[in-house]
Amino acid sequence: MSVDEVGRWSSRVGSRVFRRFVETRELMLLVLIVAIIVGMSLASPVFLSLANFHAIAIGMAPTVIIAVGMTVLLVSGGFDLSVGSVLALASTVTALLLLSGASIPLAILGALALGAVIGLANGIVVTRIGVNPLVATLGSMSIARGIALVLTEGFSLINLPPAFGWAGRAEILGVPFLLWTALALVVVFDLAMRHGSFFRQLYYIGSNEKAARLSGLAVDRVRTLAYMLSGLLAALAGVLLASRLMSGTPTAGNALELQVLAAAVIGGASLRGGEGTVLGAFLGVVFVALINNAMTMLAVSIYWQMIVTGAVLVVAVALDMLVRRRDD
Amino acid sequence: MAAPLLELSGITKWYGTTRALGDVDFDLRQGEVHALVGENGAGKSTLLAILSGVVAPDKGTINIDGRAVTINEPSKAQALGISTVFQELSLAGALTVAENVFVGRAPTACGIIRWSELRRRTQQILSAFGIEIDVDRPVDRLPAGTRQLVEIAKALSLDARILLLDEPTSALTSNEVAALFAIIARLKSRGMGIVYVSHHMAEVFRIADRVTVLRDGERMTTRAVAETSIDDVVRAMVGRKLEIFTAEATLVQGPVALAVRGNGAEGKSRHLELEIRFGEVVGLAGLMGSRRSELARSLVGLRQPSGGTAIEVKGRPTRLRGLRDAMARGIAYVPDDRKAEGLFLSMSVTDNFVVTALRSFARLGWIERAAATAAAGRAVERFRIRVPSLEAAAGKLSGGNQQKLMLSKWLASDPAIVVIDEPTRGVDVEAKGEIHKEIRRLAAAGEAVLLISSDLPELFAISDRIVVMREGQIVGDLPTPSATEEIVMALASGTGHKLEGEAA
Ligand SMILES: Nc1ncnc2c1ncn2[C@@H]1O[C@H](COP(=O)(O)OP(=O)(O)OP(=O)(O)O)[C@@H](O)[C@H]1O
Ligand SMILES: [Mg+2]
Repeated sequence: MSVDEVGRWSSRVGSRVFRRFVETRELMLLVLIVAIIVGMSLASPVFLSLANFHAIAIGMAPTVIIAVGMTVLLVSGGFDLSVGSVLALASTVTALLLLSGASIPLAILGALALGAVIGLANGIVVTRIGVNPLVATLGSMSIARGIALVLTEGFSLINLPPAFGWAGRAEILGVPFLLWTALALVVVFDLAMRHGSFFRQLYYIGSNEKAARLSGLAVDRVRTLAYMLSGLLAALAGVLLASRLMSGTPTAGNALELQVLAAAVIGGASLRGGEGTVLGAFLGVVFVALINNAMTMLAVSIYWQMIVTGAVLVVAVALDMLVRRRDD
Repeated sequence: MAAPLLELSGITKWYGTTRALGDVDFDLRQGEVHALVGENGAGKSTLLAILSGVVAPDKGTINIDGRAVTINEPSKAQALGISTVFQELSLAGALTVAENVFVGRAPTACGIIRWSELRRRTQQILSAFGIEIDVDRPVDRLPAGTRQLVEIAKALSLDARILLLDEPTSALTSNEVAALFAIIARLKSRGMGIVYVSHHMAEVFRIADRVTVLRDGERMTTRAVAETSIDDVVRAMVGRKLEIFTAEATLVQGPVALAVRGNGAEGKSRHLELEIRFGEVVGLAGLMGSRRSELARSLVGLRQPSGGTAIEVKGRPTRLRGLRDAMARGIAYVPDDRKAEGLFLSMSVTDNFVVTALRSFARLGWIERAAATAAAGRAVERFRIRVPSLEAAAGKLSGGNQQKLMLSKWLASDPAIVVIDEPTRGVDVEAKGEIHKEIRRLAAAGEAVLLISSDLPELFAISDRIVVMREGQIVGDLPTPSATEEIVMALASGTGHKLEGEAA
């Protein structure tokens, strides 16, 4: 090889490694997460404490659970704005059922079923009637929140049976049960999205719906089920939140849908569909949670936190577009 | 001698680790048609992409009229007088024909689009093809062939000095091809230089002055067409002499697999009767607008059969409730538009290959990746699909290789009845032979095949019968040995009514 060729070869290999790194969103996020942890441990003595990690874990668990459903939906080319409201509605409905004397399992099942039904309704309106997902779920977002507020007249419902608080308080091997649940869902759905024949269909549908139809996939059914899953997981997050707070809160999860969307997109999902992984979305949630926690530790005001989160979102997506453009 | 209109030297282009072009020289004179030929993935489209400012070469120089130029933007190419018809259609689907033809250059008055003027000018360009299209129609509601004409009209509307045509006839029937060639001849006489990429050797030898052969991104030879032969060119393309595939007629034919029965519109004698038997390939010929694809789509449940007709599957009248219903009955459909309807361009070769058989690659709902990859690997080998790797996105394959990938995924699912719309659009000579063999193999294995193709020699090469459609009716049904291209064309264009009786 001539010097020239060696140079070209090595620069090609070098840029390939770099590209692979930037392309593998999970890897990039992981490195950033480690960087934040290391940096913050040096900057703040309180950061690297069990208590702090405990707080982060509990705080982000519902977001992670919802992000799982959102990612599944985004990959299929769908979109769900109603998740924050469904979380609130599920938490109040669980509380109402408990207060009216229903058993704990029954109350939980009732709330989950309600979430799935809202998801089903979203799915039907979007796939069968053809309403744009943004519009359809904007509507159900408002409706679900409204119902939660009507049912409670805007107040939180307290005095729930003590046994109901187990899920919110329990720890297994020192890790909160909430986090275990969220992690289990991440693992199961990440694998299912990679290897499951049912969930694989979502990628086809999201990347070319027409071709998916002509390849014989049951496009409408699969998409509707993705909406149901999103509703169901949002309701599950609502139930767990109610257990942790020991109250049904109609105002919970405000603007949560935007946080979840941002995390999923930072994790590599695309609003155009066909791309994204559950693992990526999970890391996206962790990343945003850590940034927010770090800023709190450094006594940055909550308003500034919003600005930073927004900037991170745009930078992450812009970086992605740049890498892609160079690739084509 | 004056400097050539266009001169490329030492053009090199790498895509990652794939070398698309290596040190290619090419030149184009005024008033010349210079054909560029080569196998799928040889680098033809890449060369045109470089000339149209879509991709940048890694090395090499481009001269126009003897002066060095850099073409780093499509708008720069336009400014230099280069106009391109891309292989993959690049129209804005929701916009009308007229808006597409004059994209970004619509005639305006004080910044307001003059719609009537826009329509008139579009009409003018289109009527040069002798076809009538409603210029107010959104292009995504047009059949592929018509979209290709719109694409060509768009390039012609630019008043360029250099015209690059990447397989402009792949979706055209012979009438439009003839019209296009007449236009090319006219442009040539005005001194325009034209680069013409095609897999149809007969076309190349009819229209081109010189031909350049690319193989694996390298220029093999450039010859005056008058001094070479199709055999020589093909040998330079594939590196050896190619056996011409000739089909053997199927001996045993089974029962009727798929049929359309009944009269077309009420009262009138509009016939739409068609039978396809197991073990035979039926070729469906017709001009653009003969509604062949429409018939195909009703045979696979994608649209209602037209008024008064009914579909029979395996001898029983059947109302297909959709494509999935048809698939459950063993019918497969290969659409004609690989980009919009056939492939998942951002997904991998393997993913594209397994989509029609996700279940068969799964155990307990779990896809067995190794089995899927192995099957995709076998298909890639069998159809000679040139891929960087099985994990590469389908969108990164060259056009012909995408076509092969789409076909392979359907043929691999072993359906009993196959409806194929334009299977070899953009496919090189060698792979075309492979696909023809594959289709014959299906028939020999007892499957029923309905083949739609605008390529008459192709229909003749592999069909047992040729059915001709005109304006939604079937106007002829002839065993291949007793058909000639003249008879088929006469039936298709409606100039041969008297032939119908004796031929049918
Ligand atoms: N965007 C891309 N990224 C990576 N590789 C590419 C890209 N575009 C083309 N290639 C590769 O470059 C090579 C040349 O492709 P090109 O499209 O020029 O072939 P072609 O001669 O036009 O073939 P066809 O007859 O099938 O249209 C192929 O190996 C192809 O896979
Ligand atoms: Mg090409």
